[in-house]
Amino acid sequence: MAINKPYNNRAWLGVLPVLLIVSFSAVIPLMTVVNYSVQDILDFNSRFYVGLDWYRETLQDPRFIDAFGRQVLFSLSVLAIEIPLGILVARGLPKSGAWTSVLLILLAVPLLIPWNVVGTIWQIYARSDIGLLGVGLNELGLAFNYTSNPTHAWLTLIAMDVWHWTSLVALLSFAGLTSVPPAYYQAAELDGASKWQVFRYVEMPRLGGVLVIAVLLRLMDSFMIYTEPFVLTGGGPGNATTFLSQYLATMAVGQFDLGPAAAFSVIYFLFILLFCWIFYNSVMSDETVEDVVEDRADDNETRHHD
Amino acid sequence: MANIVLDQLGFAYPGASEQTLLPLSVEIKDGEAFALLGASGAGKTTLLNLLSGLLVPTTGRILFDGVDVSAQSGSERNLAQVFQFPVLYESLTIADNLAFPLRARKAVNGFSAADIASRVTKIAGELEIENLLKRKPKTLSLFQKQLVAIGRALMRPDVSVVLLDEPLTAVEPRTKWQLRQSLKRLQEELGVTMIYVTHDQTEALTFADRVAVMADGKILQTASPQEVYEHPAHEFVGFFIGSPGMNFVAIDTAAPDPMYAASGVDKSAQRIGFRPEWARLESPSMNGPSSAVHWPARVTHCQILGTQDGLPVGITTLASEAGELKVRGAINMGVGDDIKVTVDRFVSFSDEQYIATHYAQSSTGQLANSVGDE
Amino acid sequence: MLRIQNVLLNPGLNCGFDHDFLPGGMTVVLGRNQAGKTNLCRLIAGLSTQAVGELSLNDETLNKLSPQKRSVAVVFQAFVNYPNWSVQQNIASPMVAAGRDKAYIQSRVVELAEKLGLGELLQRMPNELSGGQQQRLAIARALAKEAQVLLLDEPLVNLDYKLREALALELRSLLDDSDTTVIYTTTDPKDAFTLGDDLLLLEGGNKLQAGVPLCVYQKPNTFAAANLMSDPGINTFAWSTLTDQTFAQQSQAAGGVSALGGVRPEHLFFVDKSEFNAEECIGFDLQVSALETSGDETFVHGVVQASNRGLSGHQLSDRQLSDPKYSDHKLPDPGTVNQPSWVVRSPGMLNFSQGQVLLVAVQKRDILAFGGQ
Repeated sequence: MAINKPYNNRAWLGVLPVLLIVSFSAVIPLMTVVNYSVQDILDFNSRFYVGLDWYRETLQDPRFIDAFGRQVLFSLSVLAIEIPLGILVARGLPKSGAWTSVLLILLAVPLLIPWNVVGTIWQIYARSDIGLLGVGLNELGLAFNYTSNPTHAWLTLIAMDVWHWTSLVALLSFAGLTSVPPAYYQAAELDGASKWQVFRYVEMPRLGGVLVIAVLLRLMDSFMIYTEPFVLTGGGPGNATTFLSQYLATMAVGQFDLGPAAAFSVIYFLFILLFCWIFYNSVMSDETVEDVVEDRADDNETRHHD
Repeated sequence: MANIVLDQLGFAYPGASEQTLLPLSVEIKDGEAFALLGASGAGKTTLLNLLSGLLVPTTGRILFDGVDVSAQSGSERNLAQVFQFPVLYESLTIADNLAFPLRARKAVNGFSAADIASRVTKIAGELEIENLLKRKPKTLSLFQKQLVAIGRALMRPDVSVVLLDEPLTAVEPRTKWQLRQSLKRLQEELGVTMIYVTHDQTEALTFADRVAVMADGKILQTASPQEVYEHPAHEFVGFFIGSPGMNFVAIDTAAPDPMYAASGVDKSAQRIGFRPEWARLESPSMNGPSSAVHWPARVTHCQILGTQDGLPVGITTLASEAGELKVRGAINMGVGDDIKVTVDRFVSFSDEQYIATHYAQSSTGQLANSVGDE
Repeated sequence: MLRIQNVLLNPGLNCGFDHDFLPGGMTVVLGRNQAGKTNLCRLIAGLSTQAVGELSLNDETLNKLSPQKRSVAVVFQAFVNYPNWSVQQNIASPMVAAGRDKAYIQSRVVELAEKLGLGELLQRMPNELSGGQQQRLAIARALAKEAQVLLLDEPLVNLDYKLREALALELRSLLDDSDTTVIYTTTDPKDAFTLGDDLLLLEGGNKLQAGVPLCVYQKPNTFAAANLMSDPGINTFAWSTLTDQTFAQQSQAAGGVSALGGVRPEHLFFVDKSEFNAEECIGFDLQVSALETSGDETFVHGVVQASNRGLSGHQLSDRQLSDPKYSDHKLPDPGTVNQPSWVVRSPGMLNFSQGQVLLVAVQKRDILAFGGQ
C-alpha cells in the first residue's frame, strides 16, 4: 500500500544530528581502525602501507585460531544453557500478584552489577581456600581449583555467565509470556493439551520474537566477553580461557602491535556481524518468507473457488 | 453430550461482602441450545467460569448427567469453549488446529489417525472451510478464524457441553447472522448441548431454545424466546429485551382507576407493562373500546427510523399522566400534538417482580453504577 | 463553519472530495470499517493520519494550527481519560489548560458532571468507573474544552447495546441546544436517524452522498449509498427480470434506463395470496432459510423462488456477486450460491420454519431504481 504523503526534502535536515552523532561515535573510530589495519606502525612518524598482510597473518596465527575456537565453544555453551533456563524461570514466575514484582526485581539484580564486580565476586566465591563455592566443593570431595585446572576454570566461567545473564533471557521471556491472553491457556486446557503441548503450541509462537532478540543479545555479548574472565582467570590457566578480546587486548595494549591488533579488530567485528546476520536471516526466512509465498498461492486458489 | 443441572449454585469472591452469583438452580437439557442474557456485571461471566471449571462454586453443585463435577477441572469435564476473540494455535495449520483436541486426547479416547482425519473432513465440510484447511490462522479473516474456533470446539464427538462466550463480538455486524446460522445448524445436526453467553438480545433470542435472563447475580426468568419477549416474568426482563424496552405504568393501588379493572388488569397488579408496538395512537376525541387502557398524552419527540408505504415510521415519545411512554408505528404527528395512547395488550406486575427502579427508569447512570464491578 | 476541501481519506485515492459540515448541528458520518471515518476525525483534529486535505473553520485555515490550538475536541472509541486524575480533575483539565479562573472551572465541572450523570462520582478515579461512566467522563472532558467542533469517533461501540441505546439518546438531548458543530462517526444506519441532523456517507474513502438522513434514505443516489443506509443490506434484482412489464416501462419512462432494482428489507411484507394487490405491489415466493429476531423485529432470510407475481425468481441477479461483503467467505448454505438470497425485515417476533415458502410483496413506489453501474 503506497502511503500518500506530501514530499518535503527539508525533512532530511532532521536526520542530520543523528548522522553526526553516529559518525563521531561509530563511523570515524571504525575507519581509524581500518586505517591502522593496513599499515605497519613503528612510531608515530614512521608508518608503511602493508596492504592485507596483517589480515593474512592474523588468520594464520594459531593463537588466534585457538582463541576463536574457545570463543565459539563458550558462546554456544552459555546460549545452550541460558536460553532454556531463562524460559524455564520465566514460566515458573507467577503471572500476576505482589510476588511477581518482587521476584522480577530480584531477578534483575545480577544485571545491575558492574561486570568487573561480577568477576571479583566469582573470583572470591569460587576460591578453593576461602570462597564459599570452592571450599564447599572441596568439602564434598571434589578437588576443585579453577586457577590450576582448565576444566574447572571453564565451568566457573560458564556458571558465572549463566548467573549473570540468565535473568535477561528470563525477563525477556516473561514479557513474551505475559502477552499470551489467558483464553489461550484455557482453550488449550479444555482441548486436553499436555504441559509440553501448551508450551510448544501456545507459548512458543508468542515467544519467537523475544527469543530472537534474546539470542542475538546474548550471542553478541558473550562473543565479546572480556572483563569477567580478565578479573576471574586472567585468561589462564595457561591460555585455557583466553578468548578473542583477551588476546586482542594483550596484542594491542600489552605488546602495542597496533597494525595486527587493528586487523584482528576488523575481523572480529565482521565475524560478529556475520553471525548475527546469518542467525537473523535463517530465523526470519523460516517463518515469514515461506508463509507469505504459501499465502499467495492459497489466496489465488480460494479466489478461483469463490 | 450431557444433561446439566445447576443445583443451588452460588459464588462469592473470597473476602467479598456480596455474592457475585446468588444461589440458582436450573436444568439444561441434553442437546439444548441455551442462552444466558444480561448486561455486563449481571453475573453471566461468573456463571460461565463456574461451568468451565475456572472458578469453584462456594455453594451448591454442578451435575453433568447426574455426576457432581463441581470439583473437576475443565478438561476433566470434557467441555469445549469458544471465546470472544478467535483462539487458534497460531503455528498450526487449520487442519491441525481442528485435529488438536482429538490428538491431545488420543491416549484417553483411542482416536486413530483415520478417525481424526475423517472427523476433520466432516466438521470442515459442515462449516464449509475445506478450502482453508492447509492455511495458517494469520492468513484468515476474523470471520473465518472464528468459524475455525467453533469447528475446533465441535471436534470431539463426546463433548459434554460447548460454552460460547459472546462469540460474535469480533465479527463484522453484517456477517454475524451467517456465523450464527452455521452455529445453530451444527448445534441441531450434532445434537450438542450449547450454552451461549451474550448481552445482545438478538443473539440470544435467535440462537436459543430457552433463554435465561440475568441481572444482579440472579436468573430472573428462564423461558422460550417468545415467552421471554411477550410475557416477561420480571420488569427487568421487559426493560432489557426490546429496543426500546417495555413501557411501565404504576397503578395507584389505594385508589385504582376503574379503567384498569375494566380492561382486565389483575386486581393484585401494582404496575403494568406494555411493548411500544402494543400501543396505538388515536385522536383524543375518539372513544376507544372499553376493554383498552388509555391515557391522554402529548407528543414530545419523534424518532424516525424509516418509511413504510412512503410515510415515516419510528418511535413516538409522549408525556402523559402515566409518565413517559414510547409507541412504535407510523409517525403522523408533530411535537406538541395532543393525542390518546390506547393499549389493549399488557403484562401485569406485582412489586416482587420489580427490580430496583433504576433499571426501568432508564437512568443509565444508575444502571452503570450497579454494573461497575466487572 | 467547518469546511473540508480536496480531502483524500485513504492512501491510494486520487480524487478528493469537499464537504461543508452543518454549523451548530450534528453530522453523522456513516461508513463501514476502513471507510476512512477515523482518518477524517484525525485529519480534522490535526493528529497524525494518512489523510490529507484542506480544512477551514469560519474561513480560517486550520491546516497550519497544531492540534492544541484548534478549537476541536475529540472522543475516541476507547475510553481515554487521565488515569491518575479524579473525575473532577479530568473534567477540569481542558479549562485549566486554557487558563480559566478557578470559580468558573468549579461551577462548570459541577454543571457538566451533573449533565452526564457523574455528579456523585467527582472524587473517583477513572479505573473505579464502569465502561459507560468512563465514556461519559471522556465526553464531559471534551465538552469542557468548549471547542467549536466536537468529534465523536464511534464513541459507543465498546459499550453493551442497552447502554449504547440510552447514551445515544442522552447525547442527542445534551447537544440539542448547543451551537457546537458535532461530527459523529458510526457503522450503524440507525444512528443516522437517531442522532443526525445531517448525514455524510463514506465508502472506501469516498463521499457517496450527503444530506438530511430521511432524504438520503428515500432518495439514494447510488446502489452503494442505498446499501450503506440499510440494515441488513439492500436486496437487489436485475431490472430486466421484472415480469410486470408495464411497471418496468413506466419507471423507465420516468427515471431513465434502470439496470438494477433495490428493495429495502423493511419495505418487504408477508401477504396472503388472496390479499395480494397486483395493482400496487409486486411479489414473489420466498423460501425461508434463516431467521434472526430481536423480539421487536425479525429478519427473515430466504431464497427467491420462481413466481409470476411481477418478479421472476430464477433470473434474478446474483446478489452475492454484486455485494462485496460476500467476497470474503462463502454463504452458509451451498444451495443459495446460484440463487439470490433476500432478507425481509418485519416487525414483531415471527416464527417461520426453515424451508417454508411465503408470499412476499413490496409496494411499487418503495422500489428503488439504479442506473447502470
